[in-house]
Amino acid sequence: MKRVLVMPRSLRLTRRPAMLLGMTLGVVLAGFTAAAHAADTVKIGHVAALSGPSAQSGEAITRGLSVAIDEINAAGGILGGRQIELVQRDDESKPPKGLIAARELIFKEKVAAFLGGIDSPVSLAIVPLANQNKVPFMGVWAAATPITRNSADPNYVFRVSAVDALVDVKLLKYANGKFGARKAGLMLINNPWGESNEKGLVAADKENGNIEIVGIEKFENNDVDMVPQLTRLKQAGADVIVLVVNAPPGAQMMKSRERMGWNVPVVSHWGISGGRFPELAGPTAGDAHFVQTYSFFGKQGPAGERLLAALKKKYPAIKGPEDVFSPVGTANAYDAMHLLAKAIDAAGSTDGDAIRKSLENMQGSYQGLIKTYSKPFSKGNHDALGPDDYIMVRYVGNTITPVE
Amino acid sequence: MSLRALLLSAAVTALLVVAIFNANGYELYVLSLVGLTAIVGIGLNVLLGLTGQISLGQVGFYAIGAYTVGILTTNHGVSFWPALLLAAVVAAIAGVALSIPALRVRGPYLAMVTIAFAFVIEQSAAEWRGLTGGWNGLMGIPTPGLAEFSFAEREIALLVLFLTAAMTYLYARLSRSPWGKAMRAIRDSEVAGQSIGLNPMLVRTMAFALSALTAGVAGGVFASMSGFISPESFPFFESILFLLVVMIGGAERVLGPLVGAVIVVLLPEFLSALAEYRLLLVGALLLVVLRLAPGGIVGLLARPFEKPAAGTSPQSKRDIVEFLSSRRGGQTLSASRLRIAFGGVRAVDDVSFDARPGEVTSVIGPNGAGKTTVLNLIGGFYDPEQGSIRLGDRDVARLASHKVARAGIARTYQTTQLFEHMSVLDNVMIGLRQGRLGAGSLVRPDERPADLDLAESLLAFVGYDGALDQSAGALAHVDKRLVEIARALATHPSALLLDEPAAGLNAADTARLGELVRQMAELGLVVILVEHDMRLVMSVSDRVVVLDAGRKIADGTAAEVRADPVVVNAYLGEEQSSAKPRPAGSTATGGEVLSVSDLRAAYGAAPVLTDIDLHVDNGELVAVLGANGAGKSTLMRALSGLHRPVQGRVCLLGREIQNYAAHRIADAGVVLVPEGRQVFPELSVVDNIRLGAFCRSAPDLGNEVEAMLERFPRLRERRRQRAGLLSGGEQQMLALARGLIARPKLLMLDEPSLGLAPHLIQELYATLAELRDEGMTILLVDQMAGLALGVADRAFVLESGAIVHGGPAAEIRDQQGLEKAYLGELHGTAP
Amino acid sequence: MLIPSALITGFGLGSMYGLLALGFYVTYSVSNTVNFAQGSTMMLGAVLCFTFWVTLGWPVWLAVLLALLACALWGVVVERVAVRPFVVRGSNAWLMATVALGIVVENVVLFTFGKDPRGMPPSFLTSEAFFVAGIKVQALQLMIPIVGLSIAVGLHLFSRRTKYGKALLAVVQNPDAAQLMGINIVAAVLLAFAMSGLFAGIAGILIAPLFTISSTMGTLFGIKAFAVAILGGIGNAWGVMAAGLIYGLAEALITALLGSTYTQILTFALVILALAIRPNGLFGQASVQKV
Repeated sequence: MKRVLVMPRSLRLTRRPAMLLGMTLGVVLAGFTAAAHAADTVKIGHVAALSGPSAQSGEAITRGLSVAIDEINAAGGILGGRQIELVQRDDESKPPKGLIAARELIFKEKVAAFLGGIDSPVSLAIVPLANQNKVPFMGVWAAATPITRNSADPNYVFRVSAVDALVDVKLLKYANGKFGARKAGLMLINNPWGESNEKGLVAADKENGNIEIVGIEKFENNDVDMVPQLTRLKQAGADVIVLVVNAPPGAQMMKSRERMGWNVPVVSHWGISGGRFPELAGPTAGDAHFVQTYSFFGKQGPAGERLLAALKKKYPAIKGPEDVFSPVGTANAYDAMHLLAKAIDAAGSTDGDAIRKSLENMQGSYQGLIKTYSKPFSKGNHDALGPDDYIMVRYVGNTITPVE
Repeated sequence: MSLRALLLSAAVTALLVVAIFNANGYELYVLSLVGLTAIVGIGLNVLLGLTGQISLGQVGFYAIGAYTVGILTTNHGVSFWPALLLAAVVAAIAGVALSIPALRVRGPYLAMVTIAFAFVIEQSAAEWRGLTGGWNGLMGIPTPGLAEFSFAEREIALLVLFLTAAMTYLYARLSRSPWGKAMRAIRDSEVAGQSIGLNPMLVRTMAFALSALTAGVAGGVFASMSGFISPESFPFFESILFLLVVMIGGAERVLGPLVGAVIVVLLPEFLSALAEYRLLLVGALLLVVLRLAPGGIVGLLARPFEKPAAGTSPQSKRDIVEFLSSRRGGQTLSASRLRIAFGGVRAVDDVSFDARPGEVTSVIGPNGAGKTTVLNLIGGFYDPEQGSIRLGDRDVARLASHKVARAGIARTYQTTQLFEHMSVLDNVMIGLRQGRLGAGSLVRPDERPADLDLAESLLAFVGYDGALDQSAGALAHVDKRLVEIARALATHPSALLLDEPAAGLNAADTARLGELVRQMAELGLVVILVEHDMRLVMSVSDRVVVLDAGRKIADGTAAEVRADPVVVNAYLGEEQSSAKPRPAGSTATGGEVLSVSDLRAAYGAAPVLTDIDLHVDNGELVAVLGANGAGKSTLMRALSGLHRPVQGRVCLLGREIQNYAAHRIADAGVVLVPEGRQVFPELSVVDNIRLGAFCRSAPDLGNEVEAMLERFPRLRERRRQRAGLLSGGEQQMLALARGLIARPKLLMLDEPSLGLAPHLIQELYATLAELRDEGMTILLVDQMAGLALGVADRAFVLESGAIVHGGPAAEIRDQQGLEKAYLGELHGTAP
Repeated sequence: MLIPSALITGFGLGSMYGLLALGFYVTYSVSNTVNFAQGSTMMLGAVLCFTFWVTLGWPVWLAVLLALLACALWGVVVERVAVRPFVVRGSNAWLMATVALGIVVENVVLFTFGKDPRGMPPSFLTSEAFFVAGIKVQALQLMIPIVGLSIAVGLHLFSRRTKYGKALLAVVQNPDAAQLMGINIVAAVLLAFAMSGLFAGIAGILIAPLFTISSTMGTLFGIKAFAVAILGGIGNAWGVMAAGLIYGLAEALITALLGSTYTQILTFALVILALAIRPNGLFGQASVQKV
């Protein structure tokens, strides 16, 4: 090589900048501590992916939260008339960023409680922090089992969303019941969420005598071609594929499956509903049957009608249910926000411990979007949704259609 | 450390301590993160700032440190402090391991190796589940503690503050220690570093190990601080941020990484309310800082405070005579039957000579004779294919060059190879170590009074009278030469090799240099001098070895060699030339094509051309003569636009072209056939010729190329061959053809006969005479004065960058001064 | 069946890496610099093509043409904004500057194009398929290596057969002498960057139907392509293309034979190993050192 990388360099060491550095730091710290704290609103935090490839999921959650907050505030707020204020921070789908964002919400913004996003790794990283500092953390999407089952006592982490361990049981049962499949090949995203489901599926496999796992393959978010992995599963004799991944790489999996001309049924976790799966996956998008907590298609209950109308009004791009992208994010967030608001109101304060206790002992029933919740949480169970709340669906065109 | 610096640091530290006691959990975490990022930056600064090597793999070491602490404290019950120590050790070992492939590669290759390393570490952390917890990572990593007391955010922030301050202090110490200086030396000139005995591999490996170690420490604290790590805590992007920390702050600066970390970590936090737009802003800001503050923020802020070098000039404080003559004296350096070939050409062929202590042995010869190659063989830069080199009883041939240097052979270089970004004093100080740095002196500043005195005395001895704290890159040309000699002497050598030390020096400086050379020999050193300045050679040499085309053609005293007709012929070329002078009566048609007035050019601070006035008329052939180093080639480069900027005026047919870039000058019709032919080696002969006509539209180029092949029949036979495979003579023909096809208004030739066999030179000059008679305007530079004068109408003689004679060719030829200008006067003292 | 299908996959991906890496090659050989954010240029190609064709509904040929033109122009912008100012100063901060520019363009795309990954509508390229040795091969899978190799051949012919191509070679081989021929080196470098952008654009448009289109689609591709360029010895077009194929095949074969767990670890470890053994790349040549 002719040129060697040589860095520009300076000639002399000088200590003068120490002074400037000190001054800068002083100003910085002054800025930190001067953060004002408005006392008349109740701050609710939200850490989610607002940029990056999963940004749409964050947007979907934001929509659900915003509509719910609008409704609550319009009805007079909580704790005797205090309005709810949403404070959002981006985690870029990166756990360390999520940790910093959560710290900022807890220590600087002093939120009463905060909600999570789609990325299980980020939520898993935040869990210990929430428990340490006694600030309730509500998951609305990330499904990794240990998020709520984290062995902390007391546990400040709640969830209105699916739980991997339960979803995994459902997926295997469905594959066997619907398609008569007996040999499952797993296609899992190579990240903590995939790993959580690998554990869950293996455990579910032990429980279920009708179906066995014959191969476990992983792939990366940016993989273009998954034919080699699929070929390995095919050779292992798989007669159904169990898919755990978000929409874009999930679509890559579907395209690879199409390309190799293998018409094997696909049963998927709900990640693939997080984006424009039909557009990304192309003609075979409908072959994948997947889990949802809610569908905006078909006959809606009162909450569904109300939410759809509010969404259409607030977001003009939404003309009908087909425009509600990542519907689970919006649906879970909507219900979670209402549950949280009721709990805070019932607790009578924004103290974390009080809110936790109030969530664990909710009185009466609340008619939500996904279902009617009565005592959604208890000390031993921090998941509001269970296997009976999951529905299996598939895409028909751009429409998510129940198949059960 | 000065008192003021101490007070300032104490003040800043106190301010931070106060801040830490007033901050909330989030602020403490962010502050700690700033500190940890700064620590990684400090380590990277050793690599990037001191040794000039890039690493995009720092996050890998950071991860190794974090996982070491995480695994040991979480799963094995080891307490934090021993775990942190082990993290540092493991990371350092990884650094040394990575340096094995990393040191074999440079530039973008090095960047790639480190990128790949970062990916391998990240992926391994994800896949080695039994150890690392896989993608779920390690949770519940205990915080550090002392006895029963467990650290909370505040104590951790204090710990990080302490570590950051300690690392900054250690970096400041390191950068002034022998190791730090050796790192800078290797960065500025690896070759020169080796020639003072430094082992570049060792120095770079140390830098890698240190940078890995600091990253490991920071990673270890990070694991404990965040309580949770997973592969996603260490994405590749983090490596880019670490690099940014150093570059934005200011590479090599002590405070650079601190300022960089403050910006890189805090900025996104301040922008956190902007959430999704902040990456955009960070990217844009980065671009702005890189553009506007090339030395980093610290460089920018420090600039107004930087004092110009104002130190005193060196005083002789130690007895240099005693120092230099105390070395195991009296060892003869003998080269025997040396041979080396490059690409089939024997650059040095069966050369033997002895150089005795107390004598100046000069190696001379025309350009391309193999003189510098002989020095490179002795200095260990090349391994001879055959032959031996002995210093006293020891065979030093085929030793690595830093070992040759340690054995007692020091050298200087044709183009000075100083450590340009170090001070004059440090250049000599690092030479004093003779390559032995010592593990104990890693953070001990290299400031022993005895050494400082010695270095200063050496500088005084060689006659350097500038400031000691002057940066070497900013020195005047002559001072660079002197400092380089002082540095060589600092290694306490038995033998000193000087490669064209007088090149570019004026007569007075050359004379002083001559005295210095004699003085050094009289102290009992073996002095080997390669030099073009014959006046110098003839006046100082006890013995002269003459090389031509790689072979020794003469060996004897200066007087013997001076009188040897073989030598004279080798230098001046055959007088009788088959090229005819211009037929009487047919003079040039007149009209100025090129006129040059007050032209000045310099390399850096060193002036090379001063006040050149010359003109070339239409149809004339004008020769520029002069010894090597007189500035002939620079003149050609200045006229053709390759050397910029120049002062003065250069007019082509009345149009000023001194500010034109080279391609526009070519387009304007001034075509240079450069020294060394410079054909495009991978292109065919025909393609080379066709490129000559690049600037003009030539609808009938095929036929024109044919016409060229007519003129140069040798090229016709090889028209489809790659030009790199042609012989020297054929390449010269090709270069000429390539120049001619441009239909130049002025054709310039730089040393066309260089390295050609005599019959080819005849052929070439016959062609030049032909062109002249066809009416081509030609400006010719050639060392073969006899030949050039044979075909020229007029000639100028250049000496030390100025025109000393000018007139009709016949007049110049008859002057006795010419031979003197080339071969020098015997034992004449220069004015 | 495992091996042949892996070969098809590897060949397609490999020629994609090779194509992108050729972009590193052209600029590096002419100017010793590269656009480190080559992946973002690739993304730009795919995003613009999608926008012109699908969002704006322009004819596909026009969309492709305009997208490629924009990529070439972007290459020029990168050179002027993030490379030249630093090279002139003798600094190698261009490396970071191109990264910074990449971050900027990725985020601008994020806000203009949308956070939502998009997919190219199906076309005959993905719907047409035929069988080779019992393995289904889509037309696009065949087209990628064909285009990749055609460009390598085209680059070769351009540089060997045309005046400007030869001028570019001349700049590579001897910049000083090239200036003496009247060749404008600054323009040559700009041209190289334009070509580099063009190749990245082509790669982006070709990969788009196989992949999903988003602002971050190019990042990992860019890094792998850089590995390929380095592995091939960056100064050698055929070497770079061959290294691309080797890299793609290695990835696919490791996945097929050992499982996907080890793909990235092994491919990057192989890069380190290869460079440790051959410091100038698999097909590069050492340069002679001089003092």
